[in-house]
Amino acid sequence: MPPPAASSRYPSPSQPSGKSEVTDLKSQLRQLAGSRAPGVDDSKRDLFKKVISYMTIGIDVSSVFGEMVMCSATSDIVLKKMCYLYVGNYAKGNPDLSLLTINFLQRDCKDEDPMIRGLALRSLCSLRVPNLVEYLLGPLGSGLKDNNSYVRTIAVTGVLKLYHISASTCIDAEFPATLKSLMLHDSDAQVVANCLAALQEIWSLEASHSEEACREKESLLSKPLIYYFLNRYSYLKGRSKFQYGGVCFCRIKEFNEWAQCLILELAVKYVPSDSNDIFDIMNLLEDRLQHANGAVVLATVKVFLQLTLSMTDVHQQVYERIKSPLLTLVSSGSPEQSYAILSHLHLLVVRAPFIFASDYKHFYCQYNEPSYVKKLKLEMLTAIANESNTYEIVTELCEYAANVDIEIARESIRAVGKIALQQYDVNAIVDRLLQFLEMEKDYVTAETLVLVKDLLRKHPQWSHDCISVVGGISSKNIQEPKAKAALIWMLGEYAQDMSDAPYILENLIENWEEEHSAEVRLHLLTAAMKCFFKRAPETQKALGIALAAGIADFHQDVHDRALFYYRVLQYDVHVAERVVSPPQQAVSAFADTQSSEIKDRIFDEFNSLSVIYQKPSYIFTDKEHRGPFEFSDELGSTSITPEVSSDIVPAQQFEANDKDLLLSTDEKDDNKGLSSNNGSAYTAPYESSNISSQMQELAISGPAASATTTQSSFDFDDLLGLGLSTAPAPTPSPPLLKLNARAALDPRAFQQKWRQLPISLSQEYSVNPQGIAALTVPQSLIKHMQSHSIHCIASGGQSPNFKFFFFAQKEAEPLDYLTECIINSSSAKAQIKVKADEQSTSQAFATVFETALSKFGMP
Amino acid sequence: MEEASGRRSKLTIRSEREREREREREREQYRSSMLQCIFLLSDSGEVILEKQLTGHRVDRSICAWFWDQADSLKSLPVIASPTHYLFQIVRDGITFLACTQVEMPPLMAIEFLCRVADVLSDYLGGLNEDLVKDNFIIVYELLDEMIDNGFPLTTEPNILREMIAPPNLVSKMLSVVTGNASNVSDTLPSGTGSCVPWRPTDPKYSSNEVYVDLVEEMDAIVNRDGELVKCEIYGQVQMSSQLTGFPDLTLSFANPSVLEDMRFHPCVRFRPWESHQVLSFVPPDGQFKLMSYRVKKLKNTPLYVKPQITSDSGACRVSVLVGIRSDPGKTIESITLSFQLPHCVSSADLSSNHGTVTILSNKTCTWTIGRIPSDKTPCLSGTLALETGLERLHVYPTFKVGFKIMGIALSGLRIEKLDLKTIPPRLYKGFRAQTRAGEFDVRL
Repeated sequence: MPPPAASSRYPSPSQPSGKSEVTDLKSQLRQLAGSRAPGVDDSKRDLFKKVISYMTIGIDVSSVFGEMVMCSATSDIVLKKMCYLYVGNYAKGNPDLSLLTINFLQRDCKDEDPMIRGLALRSLCSLRVPNLVEYLLGPLGSGLKDNNSYVRTIAVTGVLKLYHISASTCIDAEFPATLKSLMLHDSDAQVVANCLAALQEIWSLEASHSEEACREKESLLSKPLIYYFLNRYSYLKGRSKFQYGGVCFCRIKEFNEWAQCLILELAVKYVPSDSNDIFDIMNLLEDRLQHANGAVVLATVKVFLQLTLSMTDVHQQVYERIKSPLLTLVSSGSPEQSYAILSHLHLLVVRAPFIFASDYKHFYCQYNEPSYVKKLKLEMLTAIANESNTYEIVTELCEYAANVDIEIARESIRAVGKIALQQYDVNAIVDRLLQFLEMEKDYVTAETLVLVKDLLRKHPQWSHDCISVVGGISSKNIQEPKAKAALIWMLGEYAQDMSDAPYILENLIENWEEEHSAEVRLHLLTAAMKCFFKRAPETQKALGIALAAGIADFHQDVHDRALFYYRVLQYDVHVAERVVSPPQQAVSAFADTQSSEIKDRIFDEFNSLSVIYQKPSYIFTDKEHRGPFEFSDELGSTSITPEVSSDIVPAQQFEANDKDLLLSTDEKDDNKGLSSNNGSAYTAPYESSNISSQMQELAISGPAASATTTQSSFDFDDLLGLGLSTAPAPTPSPPLLKLNARAALDPRAFQQKWRQLPISLSQEYSVNPQGIAALTVPQSLIKHMQSHSIHCIASGGQSPNFKFFFFAQKEAEPLDYLTECIINSSSAKAQIKVKADEQSTSQAFATVFETALSKFGMP
Repeated sequence: MEEASGRRSKLTIRSEREREREREREREQYRSSMLQCIFLLSDSGEVILEKQLTGHRVDRSICAWFWDQADSLKSLPVIASPTHYLFQIVRDGITFLACTQVEMPPLMAIEFLCRVADVLSDYLGGLNEDLVKDNFIIVYELLDEMIDNGFPLTTEPNILREMIAPPNLVSKMLSVVTGNASNVSDTLPSGTGSCVPWRPTDPKYSSNEVYVDLVEEMDAIVNRDGELVKCEIYGQVQMSSQLTGFPDLTLSFANPSVLEDMRFHPCVRFRPWESHQVLSFVPPDGQFKLMSYRVKKLKNTPLYVKPQITSDSGACRVSVLVGIRSDPGKTIESITLSFQLPHCVSSADLSSNHGTVTILSNKTCTWTIGRIPSDKTPCLSGTLALETGLERLHVYPTFKVGFKIMGIALSGLRIEKLDLKTIPPRLYKGFRAQTRAGEFDVRL
């Protein structure tokens, strides 16, 4: 009889509603316990079922432990199973009462039915009560020697369980040695597999403080042992040799699929002695690639990849060989399986981009697939796009853009953009992107704008096409901050090409108060500045308002940036321009999100969670791993001993732990955010935001009244000397001008000058037909003009419009002449604009220029 | 004297215990047993069943955490929770959730959960909350045999069947009559000891039957321009065998060269296939999937679907034509066409000249055609009204096509013969084939 006090130690079930029922059950069980009446098993079964079902729902029924054990004396196997289940669940929380169960479990371990022997042994080992380990030794020892393989299988796992309850007991009883001999000699494959699993674990844990265990652990990876395992299941293939032998055939065993995974994992760690060794293993395992179980296939793939790492040629062949089994797995399994496989394919593609290039159709999304599969497929399509398949892939992706699933539509537009950034020939893609803008769906437009912006940063030569389309988009229709920021960036960057850029910006600035996103406001400030440097008169007012609003902004960054701009402008406009609007430089490559070292680490951990998280395990296990373990135990015990406070305590613990993880996921997100910033944000604003934070001290010390800002922004006129109204008076009869043949001017200085100086002259000339003909190679004009001491600093354009910037310097005097020359080859006209340090001689320069130009094309 | 020795022993015990605890901590790090717990959740997030697999209990609160996640995270097959890594699959509204704290092959966990779902569905004759709740004892028993200490053991249905009898009408009747409701069969799990793990030892049948079914699914994508972008067949060779003793079968195809990407049941021997493209195997007992394959680059679909949508000033006209493109030689049955109306459609008025059209409240529209009549081309037509303010339709639906053709494998794969090494008395062999639409998308 169990002391009733014991049950009152665990008084209330966690759910109040269960309380009276449990008490009820308890008394009913008690009545049945001693009874030997016929039919008692039936009533017991019903009651047991009820207890288990309470347990299953989550009601704490640990209080009937004593009664359950008393009722366990039965020959009915279902009753036994239910009892084992119950005992296994509650024993850890009731170590005192567990002693009661030992007796009947030990008896069952000697039952004549091997199934009962096995089940009892399993339950006995699953009690996991440290002070009962001594009772385990006997049954385990005889279980390992049992003549039934089912019992042996369970006993082997039991040894491992014992090791985790008390390692010393397990070692002292010399179970590892027994397991080793079983592993090498047992006739049953499952026993062998379980021995391997148990020994691997025991020896690697013991290895830290026992040399012997260390040696044993190494020996698992020895050649004979590896071949022993591999051949064991290669026997199956070789079975044709034996199958007619009848008796022989029956002795040969095969590991089941899960055990195969285990052995394959072991084989991955094996260091082959030479290349023959490698080929032997690969030949042995080749048919595993066709296995119906995806886990086996993936484990085999890992073995193949790891074995051939040092053999480049073979490694490539391996990629060819594993391709089709992997693709089969993607398309034939459940979506969950596809997800796991696709994550791995992505890893392979990064290492060997060409393997799936011709199989791109495998990654086309089907309508019914869950979006997590679609997303990975889109990533795959992005990764495998190359010269040969880009057209088809982009066409396919464009179809998704009109998809009903908005998230996927967005992803696919991003994918198109990513492909555009990877490719050299983006011609067709740009057209497609611009077509998206015409779809007039706000989310499509938003995503596209962000992409166009990135594209322009890498391929500024497309600015002409893009800007004309982007210019047509009404900023009112764009709500998403990222898209808005992108549009504003383009307005600032290409202010000279978009006629109404200053006015759009002005509009946006006037609605400053309604703009909720700080990112957008930051970009507005920068864009207003850039626009100002290009088109000062039109932007001046807007810039003034923007700076005033920015300085008054409650957001620290916005405030700092506005103040910084203001001061820089006040200090020196040229410096301001150099800081805010440096000459554009195409971004050749966006920062990769992952270093190649990390990618290699993940590759080494192929077929593991690392692949799915795209992070090597040390990043996500180190921090999160240890704490939770102890924590989960605490949680377990608190839920077994339900006290009034128990509801709160685990919750808090959970929360605390949650924070821990949140922290780390935040970090992850941050990393991600940062890296994506590297990918898409502009360098200038970020730099200046850094500067602006450095300027913070200044900002505090200096009074920043917004009113004066507006005022002073008007003063910039004087600063800049932009007296546009004062038109230069052309000198009537220019003396002949001598130019310096070795003049030099760096492009930055040119740009600066070009912006500062007013146009002193603007004329149109005809170009002779020979000249037009020679213009098919624009370089020739540049050479020609150089021979006349007029140097080209920049040129561009396509037939029929060519644009050149020239400069020349007066001999003996550091006076520059800057010329913009636009030649239209179809109308054979050249338009020039001249700006000069010395306005009086600009007409003279123009004459020289015209003469030089007229000789172009002449022999 | 005695006291002193007692104290010393106490001291050593303590240091021993400390060392033990240290090792314990170490062990936690290297624990190799994989899954720690399996939960079955109902479609409302309630825990139907919980099976702890190792000494480290996983508290149920993890399920609550899981259920509270946003959909985009919750639907992922692998999730990192604050305390555990979770694997999940969803089958018929039941979520199978497994927890682990160690690095392990994710596919292994997912494959295992898939097997669990298959086995349960097989045992219970379907999967739903009530079935699991009614038979939770059996589910526990099954899980007990399928996984021990977190490592998968036996998932082969035939072997499980020998250890745990499925709940069926007969055993229920028997239990009423005899009062013995044990659903544990008397036989031993001989499969684990059997030389061919997938086959029970020596089954006996009075009549020997073996059936081979070719079941093919056509996956196709037709793009906006009406081009066939992708057209593949995913096929399975399904068998049902009730053969006495230890039969050795050989199945050969007339044209095995069309097959690609094969996957075999473990019973298939690899060498004969490699050398002569012949399937040689000792079959499991009962129903099983012998192999799966894929046939790529098909030129044609049996049906054509020609959708057209024109939209102007807030209204859309829709017309969809369906007809036979290439006659497979057998009747195409159960033709259906379903699509999701875009969100911006406020109402739809659709009718057809053949079959029935239904529009559900979630804007799913299904047109059940059945067979193509000989006298006319089935046509669905009507108008869609757009939400106010929208001029034109910018999001287009994808049409999903369904069909079934009995008696033919569209890949063209043909079975040549099925041989038995030793022919048992009263042998009956049967062959069948069918093709149905898998993922057949027509985009607009």
